[in-house]
Amino acid sequence: MLEVIDGGLRTTVQDMGRRGGQALGIPPSGAQDGFALRVANLLVGNAPGGPLLIRDDPGAAGLELTLGRLKLRALQDHVLALTGADTGATVDGEAVPCWTSFVLREGQTLACGLARSGARAYLAIHGGIDVPLYRGSRATHVSGGFGGLEGRPLAKDDRLPVGAATAEVAELAGRRLRPDLVPAYAPPMQVRTVAGPEEHHFTAASVEAFYATAWKLNPKADRTGMRFIGPELSFKPGRPRYLIEDAGADPSNIVIDPGAPVGTVQVPSGVEPIVLCVDSPSIGGYARIAIVISTDMARIGQVRPFEETRFVRISHEDAVAVLAAQEALIADPDIII
Amino acid sequence: MVYDEPIFRTLGDTAINVEFGDESSIPINFRILAVDFALREEPPKGLVETNPQVRTLGLVFDPLSTTRDHIVDHVKALIAAQGTVETLPSRRVIIPALYDDPWSRECAEAFGVRNNIEYIAEFNDMTVAQVIETHTGCDYWVTGVGFVPGAFMSYAMDPGKRFGAPLYRTPRTWTHARLLNFGGLTSTIYPIRIPGGGQLFGRTPIEIFDLREISPSFADGPVLARAGDRHRYESIAREEYDAIRAEVEAGTYEYRVEEGTFDCAGYVSWLAETGEPAERLDPESTWEPA
Repeated sequence: MLEVIDGGLRTTVQDMGRRGGQALGIPPSGAQDGFALRVANLLVGNAPGGPLLIRDDPGAAGLELTLGRLKLRALQDHVLALTGADTGATVDGEAVPCWTSFVLREGQTLACGLARSGARAYLAIHGGIDVPLYRGSRATHVSGGFGGLEGRPLAKDDRLPVGAATAEVAELAGRRLRPDLVPAYAPPMQVRTVAGPEEHHFTAASVEAFYATAWKLNPKADRTGMRFIGPELSFKPGRPRYLIEDAGADPSNIVIDPGAPVGTVQVPSGVEPIVLCVDSPSIGGYARIAIVISTDMARIGQVRPFEETRFVRISHEDAVAVLAAQEALIADPDIII
Repeated sequence: MVYDEPIFRTLGDTAINVEFGDESSIPINFRILAVDFALREEPPKGLVETNPQVRTLGLVFDPLSTTRDHIVDHVKALIAAQGTVETLPSRRVIIPALYDDPWSRECAEAFGVRNNIEYIAEFNDMTVAQVIETHTGCDYWVTGVGFVPGAFMSYAMDPGKRFGAPLYRTPRTWTHARLLNFGGLTSTIYPIRIPGGGQLFGRTPIEIFDLREISPSFADGPVLARAGDRHRYESIAREEYDAIRAEVEAGTYEYRVEEGTFDCAGYVSWLAETGEPAERLDPESTWEPA
């Protein structure tokens, strides 16, 4: 059991998300940076679960810290690991490294500061956070009010139940991720995409601009969508007139469509492309210039406000190869040393 | 327009959209729902989820246990074998609503716009009374469920009563739960308190999304609507609204849901008799479907 002393800016219980909700409007939710949460879970000896959506395995639940800040006190001995954004974490004032498991003894306090690089930090606990499953996952969806701890972010005085330990504390402490695998989160972030279903509605110059621009993240970004500031994109002339009544007067309006569950890049009115994220709507009505590949949603989750992102187009086949390589990595026991 | 052959669009590494046309069309939706039922009954290996909507069937697949081409070939074969969609399972759901309600007015005031139902009336050359009469005057076909948890999209089944209003240019930052609204020709209800750009015109006392999951009429867990439902709205007065709301909150309200089957082929013939074109075309358009 852990006691929350300060819940921070927005800390939620997340795992690798909820499957099967697309046709009910229920988003996958789960960690915005799935790689970081899965590694944190591996470090503390938990099931990593995932990947998001395509496997019915949410893995163990941990915490997602938005831009850092969290203070927790242990009510018994626990093994923890912090990954993702570096928050300069301390245990009773002593620094603890990221991407390495450590022990938090009964009565000790873990304090995470504001993120120094990256936007989201992940905390995993041996045994996992033991809140009830809702539709197969412990992931919090705040606007729907379900999953996690009462469907809301953590607040002062919350108690976090932890699942039963299956290994000795001493066995699990001091494990770390192979150093060459620790992401740098150095801007500009390179995010790979596959061409979107309405790419052909945009002018050739706008498609070129989309891939040539270093886009700055709008600070209003959240788990529903991240908007990027940059040049205005335009649409080819000659749009069918019946779509004005059916979809809307703006050339970016399309008749409702499902899109990809996460990673869809919509461009309403040609202004500020939005990457739809893990809590995003299951349908949309705006032209989609690109789809971020599932593996790189982790990178999107680590972009800080006003930091730059560049989109790089690859093929569907290459995107699948990237996913296969990531899954081989997660399954490789030698990545934890 | 309705495409001669559906277009299979690859979305990233794990999704495919099967697009049947670019317009909202109930006959297209019949075909999509029929394919969706077939896929749910016998899903091919590696198919994870389906998301049927008005003109497009969304598919999520696991590219590490199948390939895009296998899924595409499987769905193409289903479509080729489909023929005319004769019937679909379809429930009829009665939705009571207080039109021109104080909560829709409050939202409009909070965002500095006029009472939306008056705007809808003006946009359609109607009176407010005609808006209510028209909206309660025919069934609405639920083409798909989604957007936020429990939301759905529906369209008037009688083309003579089809109307709507454009979305706000700048969406509101919040909307009360359970407000009826138009986004273009789409009629829907906000299930929960969320931002949104729909033109608001009424409020239902019944839940569209209910985490308590106490009504047996809910389609799948906390969600009332199901693709292929026919919704019929009923205008009620404030007293009745309050009485139903109290029953819903107490968990004693009986949702008015009738199981049934819908004669899709008969409806398509009837549509043709009304003079409704099978598809909308713009000969001057230079946009290519792909």
